[in-house]
Amino acid sequence: MSYTDAFFYFFAALTVGSALVVTFSRSVIYAAFALLFTFLGVAGLYVLLQADFLAVAQIMVYVGGILILLLFGVMLTTRVTNAEITTGTVQGLPATVVVGILLGTLILLVSRATWNVQESLPDVTGTTTEIGERLLTTFLLPFEIAGILLLVAIMGAAMIARSTDKTKEAA
Amino acid sequence: MIPISHYLILSAVMFTIGCAGVLTRRNAIIIFMCIELMLNSVNLTFVAFSAYLGDSAGQIIVFFVMAVAAAEAAVGLAIVLALFRNKKSVDINDVNILKW
Amino acid sequence: MPDIIFQSTKHFWPEITLALTFIAAMIFEFATKKRTTGTGILVLLGLAAALVQLPSAPSEPVSIFGGMYAIDPFSTFFKYVIIVTGMVVVLFSFQSQELKKESGHTGEYYCFIAAVTFGMVLMTGSSNLVMIYLSIELVSITSYILAGFSKSLRRSSEAALKYVIFGALSSGIMLYGMSLIFGLTGTLDLSGIRTALASGHAVTTGWSFAALMAAIVLMLAGFGYKVSVVPFHFWTPDVYEGAPITITAFLAVASKAAVFAVMIRFFYVAFFDNMLASTGVYSSFRNVDWSMILAVLSVLTMTLGNFVAIWQDNLKRMLAYSSIAHAGYMLMGVVVMSNFGLSAIMLYFVMYFFMNLGAFYVVMVIADKIGSENIDDYRGFGKRAPIISVGLSIFLISLTGLPPTAGFVGKLFLFSSVMASQFIWLAIVGVLNSVVSLYYYARVLKNMYLREAPDGDESPIVFSKVTSAVVILFIIPNILLCFFYQPVLTFAQRSIAILLPGL
Repeated sequence: MSYTDAFFYFFAALTVGSALVVTFSRSVIYAAFALLFTFLGVAGLYVLLQADFLAVAQIMVYVGGILILLLFGVMLTTRVTNAEITTGTVQGLPATVVVGILLGTLILLVSRATWNVQESLPDVTGTTTEIGERLLTTFLLPFEIAGILLLVAIMGAAMIARSTDKTKEAA
Repeated sequence: MIPISHYLILSAVMFTIGCAGVLTRRNAIIIFMCIELMLNSVNLTFVAFSAYLGDSAGQIIVFFVMAVAAAEAAVGLAIVLALFRNKKSVDINDVNILKW
Repeated sequence: MPDIIFQSTKHFWPEITLALTFIAAMIFEFATKKRTTGTGILVLLGLAAALVQLPSAPSEPVSIFGGMYAIDPFSTFFKYVIIVTGMVVVLFSFQSQELKKESGHTGEYYCFIAAVTFGMVLMTGSSNLVMIYLSIELVSITSYILAGFSKSLRRSSEAALKYVIFGALSSGIMLYGMSLIFGLTGTLDLSGIRTALASGHAVTTGWSFAALMAAIVLMLAGFGYKVSVVPFHFWTPDVYEGAPITITAFLAVASKAAVFAVMIRFFYVAFFDNMLASTGVYSSFRNVDWSMILAVLSVLTMTLGNFVAIWQDNLKRMLAYSSIAHAGYMLMGVVVMSNFGLSAIMLYFVMYFFMNLGAFYVVMVIADKIGSENIDDYRGFGKRAPIISVGLSIFLISLTGLPPTAGFVGKLFLFSSVMASQFIWLAIVGVLNSVVSLYYYARVLKNMYLREAPDGDESPIVFSKVTSAVVILFIIPNILLCFFYQPVLTFAQRSIAILLPGL
């Protein structure tokens, strides 16, 4: 087993293990910290797949942005001590059946289908230049739209989260 | 050498774990985390295909998915906060003025 | 490449106008706090400016921005529907009392209307999976915000929370489908997918074919969620009831039009062989029987929508179920995969625009007056507010699809397109469903005309002249289009050209 193989299995185990904690942990805080390891594991897999730019973006956006946002959410909503935020699982049996069928089907499909890919990983040295160039040429239109989308989201999130006098009265 | 199917199976497993979380959990914030898990698994699929195809388009869509995920998380949490102010709970079973 | 971008911009002005409208409205809103009507008027003017540029769109399909976006008569038709709906919704919002209660934010509300219209217009022309994903997300995220707009109301926040959770879930599922398609065909471009599938190199084994089917089913789940096709409909009643009614009307008409446009483009461009010129019917690769799958979805959708609507007491919620049912009717036009079916869907959208917006408008003004959307509170309305009641009756009859209203013509063409493609049983189910829908619409009419107000109150409820005028303005096309539908039909028939590679 080569070093890359070992790294793959390590990151895969890290990702799946922490994903399981996110899904089944009873505490929101544990779930959030487990999610950190999932994100890091996925970033490691990106490195193995030679996607250096995305590996960095993964850490910056997911760990530095989304995870912090989720933690803020957890803290802001637990401010009131009597709020029940630990959860119990319901619908156990039907969910297990659905999830089992989904898992079986997906694994069968992705492992048996012939994908339109090369046998081994082509050698690339750095993807950042190529991604940068394509973002501003072929993918210029989506790039601009993503900008507008982020603007809308910032405005909307600020508008909804801002407490008005009315909601203060209600609280 | 890791064949592509390993990455795909890993991502399918992650996707299923995320789905399981969305189906069974009742805390809105945990549900958001599980949705992030699903999006991460999809991203992994895209990056694996992109790497093995030698086509960076798959990585570019992942870049956009990250941007959208951030936007969605921001709006989603703002809504959770607004609801929490009115209600003091983030359990979606308590979201029940509106019935079937 | 810069040349391509400059060339593309030439055809992209309506969309650019909409984007600029959003940004200008936002700057105006921040610069002049509390002048919310000004922001609304600015948005209205921006939408009008985009609308007047539509007729100059090229009559031949053009692909711009390196295959990202298509300008063709098909998308232009839907752009008309979307932008006009946006304008009508802005006008309604000027009158809505519900929004005035949120006085601090009404300006931002208009900005979001501009943004969501921009997103929907982008959906109609998206011809690359990246664009499809981003434009759907732009619309979804803005809709989440708008659905939660009256945030001091618990109902609204709850609806928004359900919407955002299930919306994010459905877009995750759709993305998984996209990733499988990318893996099978090696491209994100719709016409590239078509070429890859047609050449037969992409799908070589039975398992790959199964994976392709799975991918399409996953994509269908994403689209189905957005148009509220059963079994992905469960969010619709809650969101439609919880959102401000102007937004409900917008989602019910424009958002459906946009998703139908992008769904039809996705299926026709990526998965259908060139149509057989003689019959105008498209055939699918490997002869997968898509029509049967879609037909089953369509039947489920309209039946569930209509039957559950029977038990609704809240008129807004009833209209939500009725809009689910209408999504089912319109899906029939996709089922037949023919030019006739396409033009029937487009004609139906025009009719649907008039009848649905009219109905929502009446519900809005009545709710502003009596503070209730409950059907029981409509008792005695026939005497107390004659014009409004006549209007609502006509809109509901139109929604049922009875003559002499626009809805009749819409359904007639839809059902005959289904019959023309030998789906007789589907047409029969559609007609039976319309009969069921008559039952619950008639209940509203019965309450308005045959029942006395509970406290014997017969004093007239006075609506402003503007309100009555708007109701009459909506009644006229609902009646006229039953007899003079020909121009709309001709326009729809001329607009079925979808950009296809190698055509």
